Amino acid sequence: MVEYQLLRAHSLGEVLEILEAKDNVEILAGGTDLMVDLHHQDQKFEDIDYLLDITAVEGLKGIKLGAEKGEIGALTTHAELISSEEINEKLPFIAAAASSIGSTQIRNRATIGGNLANAAACADSFSPLIALGAELVLRSKGGARRVLLEDFVEWPFETIKKENEILEKIVFELPQGEYYSSYQKIGRRKAVSISRISLTLLAEVEKGAIKKAQVASGAATPFPVPFRKVNKYLNGKTYAEVDPVEAGNIAAEEMVSITGERWSTPYKRPALGKLVERAVEDLLEEAGYNG
Amino acid sequence: MAKLDVELTVNGEKYKLEVGSQERLLDTIREKLKLTGTKEGCSVGECGACTVIVDDQAVNSCMVLTAQVDGSEIVTVEGLESKSGLHPLQKAFIENQAVQCGFCTPGMLMSALALLNTNPEPSKEEIKTALEGNLCRCTGYQQIIDAVEIAAEEWGV
Repeated sequence: MVEYQLLRAHSLGEVLEILEAKDNVEILAGGTDLMVDLHHQDQKFEDIDYLLDITAVEGLKGIKLGAEKGEIGALTTHAELISSEEINEKLPFIAAAASSIGSTQIRNRATIGGNLANAAACADSFSPLIALGAELVLRSKGGARRVLLEDFVEWPFETIKKENEILEKIVFELPQGEYYSSYQKIGRRKAVSISRISLTLLAEVEKGAIKKAQVASGAATPFPVPFRKVNKYLNGKTYAEVDPVEAGNIAAEEMVSITGERWSTPYKRPALGKLVERAVEDLLEEAGYNG
Repeated sequence: MAKLDVELTVNGEKYKLEVGSQERLLDTIREKLKLTGTKEGCSVGECGACTVIVDDQAVNSCMVLTAQVDGSEIVTVEGLESKSGLHPLQKAFIENQAVQCGFCTPGMLMSALALLNTNPEPSKEEIKTALEGNLCRCTGYQQIIDAVEIAAEEWGV
C-alpha cells in the first residue's frame, strides 16, 4: 500500500529544509507521471513517507533568455514553453518538443523539470536540451552543483540527483550567429503520443558550412545521448559536402552500438536513420541550400 | 495522516474543506461537493472525462491532488448553465448531435470552454488540439468539433 503525508512548500528555502530534515520524500510537481504511478500503487513508491508538493514555489518558475545565456525554471510547464514568444523565436525546437508532449490538459500541468527528473526513456524534453549543451542546477541546503544534462541519467528512471537535492533550473548558452534546428518524433499515433523515437538537430552555420552540429536522441536509446559520430561527420562540412542519407546511416549505427541488436532494431535502425536524414534535409532547406 | 485545510472556489461558490493527503481534485468534486457531472474514466490522464478548468486552464482532475490547487478557481460542467439557460456550448452539442452516451461530454465541454475563453475564434486545428486529450468512444469527433465551431460563432465572445 502506497501511503504518504502530503507536505506543501511555498518557497525554495522551505523545500530544501524539508528535503534535509526528512527521509523518504518524493517530490510532486505537475504530477502527470507521478500521480499515475501512485494511483497504480507502483511498488517503487512503497517506501515513501512524504509527498512534497512544490507547485506553489514561485522561485522555480519562469524563462529567462539573455543575449548569450538562458535559463528555464524547473516548474515551467510545457504550455508555458509553447506560448513563450522568446522560446519560439530563439529556441523553436524546445517549443516543438513541448508541443509534442501529451495533451492540452497534460501540457498545462506537466513541467519540464518533472519530465527530466522522472527520466523516462521516452521523455521528450531531453533531446532539445542536450543538443543545446544544457546543464542542470541541482540544489540542496548545503549549496548547488551544476551537472551536464547528458550526464544526468544513469538508467531509465534513475538519475544522479541525490535525495536531499531538487532540480532547480536548466541553464544553457544560446547558440550564436546563424543557426538552424529540427525536432523529429515518431509515435504510434498523432496526438497524445508516447515517443518511439525522437531527436533534435541543432546546427550553428557560417559561410555555407556547418560550424557546430549537435544531434541528440530521445527514446532511441535507454537514456538520452548526443550522437557524437554524426556530430563529427557534420562538423566543418559545407552544405554541398553533407549527405543526409549518410548522416542517417551513421546515427543508426551509433544507436545500435549503444543498444545492441534488440527485437526492435530492424524497425528502429531505418526509422532513426530516416529521422536524422529528414533533420539534415530540413537544415539544408532552411539554410537555403538547393543542392 | 493529518488533514489539510483547503479553500476553493467552485463554479463561483467558495468552499472551506478539509482534505486528505491522497485526495484528488476529482474525488473532492464528486464525493464532497456532489458535483457528479465530472466523470472518472481512465484515472491516468488519457481519456479526459475528468477535465475541469483550474484557474482558466483545462486539467485532468484525476492527476491533481486537491491540496495542490488550494486557493484556485475551478469550473466544472455544472458551472456552464446559468439563469438564462444552457450555455451556447451545451446548446451546440445538443443541436449538432455531439452527444451519444454522454460520458465524455462534460470533459469535452470543459476543454472547449477553456479554449473559447482564451481564443474566441479558434481554427479547426486549434479546436482539435484543445480536444486531443478527450476521448469519445461512440459519436466520433466530427460532430463535436462542428459543435465547438458553431458555439464559437454563436457565442461571439
